Amino acid sequence: MGRFLLRRVLTALATLVVSSFAVCMLIHLIPGDPVMMMMAQNSSPTPEQIARMRHALGLDLPFWLQYFHYMGHVLRGDLGRSIFGSEPVATLLLERLPNTFALAFTGLVLAAGMGMPLGFLAAYKKGTWADSLLMMLAVCGVSIPNFWLGLLLVLLFSLVLGWLPVAGENWASMILPAVTLGLTYMAIIARMTRSSMIEVLNEDYIRTARAKGMPERIVLFRHALKPALISVVTIIAVVFGYLMGGVIVVENVFSWNGLGRLALQAINYRDYPLIQGFILLFATIIVVISLLLDVTYAWLDPRVSVE
Amino acid sequence: MDAALPVSSDAALTLSVRGLSVSFRDGGAQVPALEDVSFDLHAGEVLALVGESGSGKSLTALAIMGLLPGGARVDRGTVLLESCDLVSLGPREMTCIRGDRMSMIFQEPMTSLNPVLTIGRQLTEGLEIHLGIAVATASARAVELLRLVGIPSPERRMREYPHQLSGGMRQRVMIAMAIACDPKLIIADEPTTALDVSIQAQIIAVLAEIRARLGTAILLITHDLGVVAEMADRVAVLYSGRVVEVAEAEALFDAPRHPYTQGLLSAMPRLDWLAAEGPRTRLAEIAGVVPSLRDRPDGCSFWPRCPLATEQCRREVPPLISTSDGRVAACWVRQVAA
Ligand SMILES: Nc1ncnc2c1ncn2[C@@H]1O[C@H](COP(=O)(O)OP(=O)(O)O)[C@@H](O)[C@H]1O
Ligand code: SF4
Ligand SMILES: [Mg+2]
Repeated sequence: MGRFLLRRVLTALATLVVSSFAVCMLIHLIPGDPVMMMMAQNSSPTPEQIARMRHALGLDLPFWLQYFHYMGHVLRGDLGRSIFGSEPVATLLLERLPNTFALAFTGLVLAAGMGMPLGFLAAYKKGTWADSLLMMLAVCGVSIPNFWLGLLLVLLFSLVLGWLPVAGENWASMILPAVTLGLTYMAIIARMTRSSMIEVLNEDYIRTARAKGMPERIVLFRHALKPALISVVTIIAVVFGYLMGGVIVVENVFSWNGLGRLALQAINYRDYPLIQGFILLFATIIVVISLLLDVTYAWLDPRVSVE
Repeated sequence: MDAALPVSSDAALTLSVRGLSVSFRDGGAQVPALEDVSFDLHAGEVLALVGESGSGKSLTALAIMGLLPGGARVDRGTVLLESCDLVSLGPREMTCIRGDRMSMIFQEPMTSLNPVLTIGRQLTEGLEIHLGIAVATASARAVELLRLVGIPSPERRMREYPHQLSGGMRQRVMIAMAIACDPKLIIADEPTTALDVSIQAQIIAVLAEIRARLGTAILLITHDLGVVAEMADRVAVLYSGRVVEVAEAEALFDAPRHPYTQGLLSAMPRLDWLAAEGPRTRLAEIAGVVPSLRDRPDGCSFWPRCPLATEQCRREVPPLISTSDGRVAACWVRQVAA
């Protein structure tokens, strides 16, 4: 267990270093001089102003030192200032973080809460019409783009039925975006749960349980569910990464005031410090959640946790 | 008088299989896999079921247990466990009988135990379900069972998971699980095949001890003629899904009746089978291959490989009959004419 965790933590740290390096270098992707780009608001910056900005961004340092300069600031919580509005990037991001977190979490809970039982059911009923129906729906779920599904839901529940708000800041307005995310990723989770459950049900130890005369209920819930859940946890770690991507789209479709919406605005305005901060935060969230799921996996699986 | 295998009414009969036929669904058609399998197993007896790979040994075991894989079904026949016909029972009733009155040990100890449940849990659950005893009592009994199958420091093992045990230890755990509820019948499907040679003898010794102490009837499926010679009272020989000969072990080794049995035994000197120690001998290779289910020949399925085959052999399936000299075999030349 200890070695497993150490390895995972090191992998997570390495992932963060690589992504932060990429984020730091992002500024060099700006066509033209990044400093001029960032000072675009100022109609005629003086040479001193330009030099100060260059120094503040660490761009006057040798290339290999720029990363340490950048990380030095990041680790102190300084992600720079937004070019537009000139508020600290960290403040802007933290303001939106709870909204995104609430949406992503609700979406994931919906996706896992519906996808896992449906996947288990389909696996248990493998080959029957119920299985075919569920998997057909899952294929639809996987292939319908989430922005389109979102728009359909808005059309139905907000415009035609008038039950839910189109957009807004309250809990009611989170229902549609969360359901959109839930439905999209439910399909993936259901399919993956089904295949891992089918695999488990074919294992020799399931036959052993039946040979012992275990009732079907115990075979399923004691012998099959836990091994299947263990692989589903790793699946959810993967799905969470996709879901965070989906959050960006869905937030914009529903004008949900989260990080995804902020990110799109930042991209439209070429607000590079904000884009950098956003990517860094997103990468960190995904890495940390994956790490937590890995820990859960290790805790569930005695083959990992006992040694 | 020569007669088809009679339906026995012997009180000491633990298992009586008659005319058991199993087929697989293949596309729209049913492909027969077992045809008219019949044999008896008496209380406290070890019956070895031998035959080449693919001859239907595991299928016979699974059919008796009611654990046939998807696509397979019993077409005809009866399986009497102490005069209760298992074939006619529903799934619920079978669940009550499995693990209680009959149990099974599988070939693959590495994958046959649940990796996420402790050894203790996997032992006690059967006791709780079938005997209705409390957890604490079941645990005490489980420790006793582990000791009985020769597992050192059983209390500690109870809390461990299968991956912490060697293959031989896991197979001992499987045996402990099988005997937990004091069954009348244990089916052991090649219990030593997947183990190291040095461990095989130990596992066989454990089974022999179980039979001696508990008097359980054992259907022992094996490739290993050394094991047959050592443990089996009687032997049933399976060829291509049919029983071709049933005999007392000694009589079979002394004077095999069916040409297939003769082929199996001819390759090795008698001393080898009876040697308690030493390397295990596998069933000898006979020229030709076991026919696949789909192109099993008409008549006796052994005729393409049989040196004695006649015109009748190619047309008609020889019935499994018992002759006045007490031999049971299915062969036009060696049995009917004998
Ligand atoms: N799941 C299955 N589907 C189709 N055919 C099978 C299946 N399992 C076994 N068979 C067929 O049944 C025959 C007997 O198999 P088996 O009982 O496993 O043989 P043995 O245990 O003697 O090696 C084999 O010829 C095999 O082709
Ligand atoms: S019935 Fe004929 S072919 Fe079959 S074993 Fe006997 S002699 Fe050989
Ligand atoms: Mg087999």
